[in-house]
Order: sequence, then structure tokens, then C-alpha cells
Amino acid sequence: MRAVYGQHWRINLLTALEYRENFLLWSAFTVVYHGTAIATLWVVLHTFPSMNGWDFKDMAFLYGLWMLAHAIHDTVFFGVANVPEYIRDGEFDRLLVRPLDTLFAVIAIPGQIFPDELILALGYFVVATVYSGVRVDAIFVLCVPLVVLGGTLIELAINLIVATIAFWFVRVDALRWIVLQLEQEFTRYPIGIYSRGVRLFLTFVFPFAFMNYFPATYFLHKSEGALGLPPVVGLLTPAVGLIFFGAAYVFWRFGLNRYKGVGH
Amino acid sequence: MALAVRPRFRFEPYVEFGKKAIAREATYRFEVFTSIGSFVLRMYLLRMVWVALYAHNAAPRGLPLHAILTYSAVALLMGLVLDIDQVSSLYDKLHDGSIVSDFMRPILVPLYFFADGTGEVLFHAALVLPALALALLIVHIDVPSATTLATFALSFVLGYFVGFCINFILNCVAFWTLEINAVQLIVTFLTDLLGGELVPLIFFPLAFQHVLFALPFAAMFSTPLLIYVGEIGPDRYASALGIQAAWLVGLAIVCVVLWRAGSRRIVVQGG
Repeated sequence: MRAVYGQHWRINLLTALEYRENFLLWSAFTVVYHGTAIATLWVVLHTFPSMNGWDFKDMAFLYGLWMLAHAIHDTVFFGVANVPEYIRDGEFDRLLVRPLDTLFAVIAIPGQIFPDELILALGYFVVATVYSGVRVDAIFVLCVPLVVLGGTLIELAINLIVATIAFWFVRVDALRWIVLQLEQEFTRYPIGIYSRGVRLFLTFVFPFAFMNYFPATYFLHKSEGALGLPPVVGLLTPAVGLIFFGAAYVFWRFGLNRYKGVGH
Repeated sequence: MALAVRPRFRFEPYVEFGKKAIAREATYRFEVFTSIGSFVLRMYLLRMVWVALYAHNAAPRGLPLHAILTYSAVALLMGLVLDIDQVSSLYDKLHDGSIVSDFMRPILVPLYFFADGTGEVLFHAALVLPALALALLIVHIDVPSATTLATFALSFVLGYFVGFCINFILNCVAFWTLEINAVQLIVTFLTDLLGGELVPLIFFPLAFQHVLFALPFAAMFSTPLLIYVGEIGPDRYASALGIQAAWLVGLAIVCVVLWRAGSRRIVVQGG
């Protein structure tokens, strides 16, 4: 399994080297994507110094937490997003007869993935942490990697659920796209600005708030926790990630056992 | 009768190309669903963001809460039309080589792309009405005086053509590189920010504003929007529209130059 995964990365990196201009342009896009998002926050908070008590420094850290979890997801688990496409053109049936676990087989399909976003996210996170003045103590060093991995699992779980739905409804582009947008938009600001229903949704249904909002309230020592929860719930992200991913995986197995192919 | 005076150029085929494009777009029903869904989501989000910001800070000069909500709503509605790449068929045709058959047809090829793109845009423009109805459920939209509305409409049309030229130029790049997706996305994200679609340019620090107002992105979104909310008053209409027109002329010249150079060195891969 490890050997297969090693080959996956070897092919990824070779592909990136082969299509150098294209790779450089996509890297430039990654920089522009995150750059414009952060610049938008900066411009808004330049005119309005506080958003529910959060200033630009806080928001820079909030974005950094999400960016890191999101970058790990996109780098390691991007293949999951391609499942609907594989199902549509029959490619998926080939994965089913492989001797390794199907989900692993999906993740190990080489694409044109290069860890450029991950490198950018790591660099940005270090800068944002120093800039926001978060105290870097033993708890921070111990908890941040776990929180980030928990956030990655939350994003993976959502994508796995969407991919599983494709077993029944082959075309799920619209759904996937809406879920993607929900995640991107609702992780950008402190969730205290939304109505109670939306806050409950972001905490218990699609727990995006655990990707960055709750951990950030803890690390930034914010007294305000949306829904009246104490900031320390932010450290529950790894558990939330595991539970959510576990549920998504059970659903995936359920779908996989009922999958009959689309008739190729 | 007047049309018959010109023997060689006929307008009707291009109207037909436009109608074809409308019919083609109408078959992608799920895209309609997603663009309306995304519109509602972003409208709700922007309302929440601005309400929270205005509740905790002093309102900036000239743009009270109702004005910024109007700005955001109109910006999102404009985006339904302006965010479309109406020249993407040029890229597609360059990519699969079918552009060759277009050059053999007795038509002006650039005008064909214009007609095709206009049809595509007109179909999406029909979404503005249901989107507007949904937006009104979320926010209140101010309606300015008739003069302001007319100037806004004129400015919007100029902005639309500036956007068309930018898309035409980007798709022309495919004559040389064949791949433009990344470049196009970079320009889209820069337009969102630097054109004032998300945040009014008057919220940027002054030093930035001087540069941003001189860029073509501002001519697409910012100018019509600032006219709508009254931030650009009647005394500045002429200069604001003038800058838009200047960009339009400049970019149109670039389009012509690129098209001539590109169509002369057309490369079709295999097929």
C-alpha cells in the first residue's frame, strides 16, 4: 500500500515537471485565490476595524487555520472529488476489482497535484500566527496539528458524502458545487454574525465551524463563543472530525455495497 | 429597404447565431439552478457581513447601511450578466480545431463570436428578474432618480463591452498557448476584488484608489455601481463615462490586433 502511494506521488511530481508552464500558472492562481480572499478581509477591516469584536489580526489567523486544513485536504484527498466523474464514465468499476481498499484506490489515482498550496498554507499560517500575536505554548504546538487534521477530516467527510450520493444520482455537480461554496463562504467570518439557525447548521449539521471558528476562539482567547458554548470546545475539532468522517465512511460503504454501475 | 443598400454585409445571420446561443444555454438547466442558488447564498452572506460591520463601527461617509446593501445587491445582479465568459466558444474551437470550419464560412468570424456571446448573455440576463425577486426578500434595494438610472444603464452597457473585450483578449491568448484556464481564473478573481464587485473601491486606502480607478476592472463594475448609489454625482458623470469609453476603445484596438495576429498563425493540433 505504501509502495503504491509512493508511486502516486512520484507520478504527480513528474507530471508537474512535465507541464511546467501550466503548473506555474496554476500555482499563480493558488496564490491569487488566497491572496484576494485575504486582501478582501484586509480592505473591509481597514474601513471597519471590528467585526463582532474580531479585528484583521484575528481574521488573518481564522483564515490561516481553514487554509491549512483545506490545503491538506486538496493535496492528499483531492481524488475523492473525482468519484462522480469516474462513476459516469465507468472508470470506477475498474477500481472495484483492485485488491486494495476502494477509497484508498481513489485517493491514490495520480492527478496533476503538487503540494504548492500546502507549502503556501504552511508559510501563511506561520506568518498569521506571529502577526495575530497568538501565544505559542505547549498546548498550541500540541493541539494545532490535531485541530488542522480534524478540519481536514471534516472537509473529507463532506466530500465523501457528496461522492457517495453519486452512486444513486450520477450527476451531483450542482450539489458538490453548493457544498464547496458553503464551506468557502461560511469559514471566512466569525459565525457570530449569522442567525441562530445558520450557526446551529454550521456547528451540528455541516460542522464547518469546527474547522476554524471554534479553535480560533480558543487560541485567540475570545470570550464570545457562538451558541453560548465555552471556547474550549474548539479543542474538540479532532473528535468532531473523526466522528463526522466515521459517519461518512459508513455511508460510503453502504453506498458501495449497493452500487450497480451505470451500465457500461 | 435601408438594409438592402448594403449588398455584401447581412445582419440576419448574426441574429440567428444569437438565437442559437440562447437555445443552447437553455438546455443547461442545472447551471441556472446553481447560479440562482449561489446568488441567494451570497446575498444572504453579504447582508450578514455588512449588518455586523455597520453595527459595530461608525458608518463611512456617504454610504449608510441601506446604500451598501443596495450596492451589493446590484453588484450581484450585474455579476449574473458580467461574470459570464461569452467568448469561451473561441477557446473551445481553438482547442478542438473546429475553428478552421468557421474561417471557411462566409461570415465575419469575430462578429460571429460577438453574436454567439450576446445570445448567451441575453439568456442569463433573463435570470436577473427571478434573482431580483429573491434579493428583495433578503434586502431592501434603493431606487434612484430616473436620470441616475439612465446614466447607470449607459455605464453598465459600457462596462459590459469592456468585459467583452477582456474576455475576447483572454480567449485570443489561446491562439498562442492553447491553455488559458488558469490565466482566466486569475483574471476573474482579480476582477472580483479590484473591480469593486465585492467591496466598493472607495473602502480601499486612498493610495490604492488612485490606481484602481484607473484600471479597466473599475470600468466594468465600480463605475456603474457608484453611479447607482450616488457616490459618483451628476457633475462627474461625463468624466466617469469618458474613462469607461476610453478603456473600451483601447481594449477594442487590442482585440483587433490580437485577432489579426492570431488568426494568421492558427495552429490546429492533429484532427
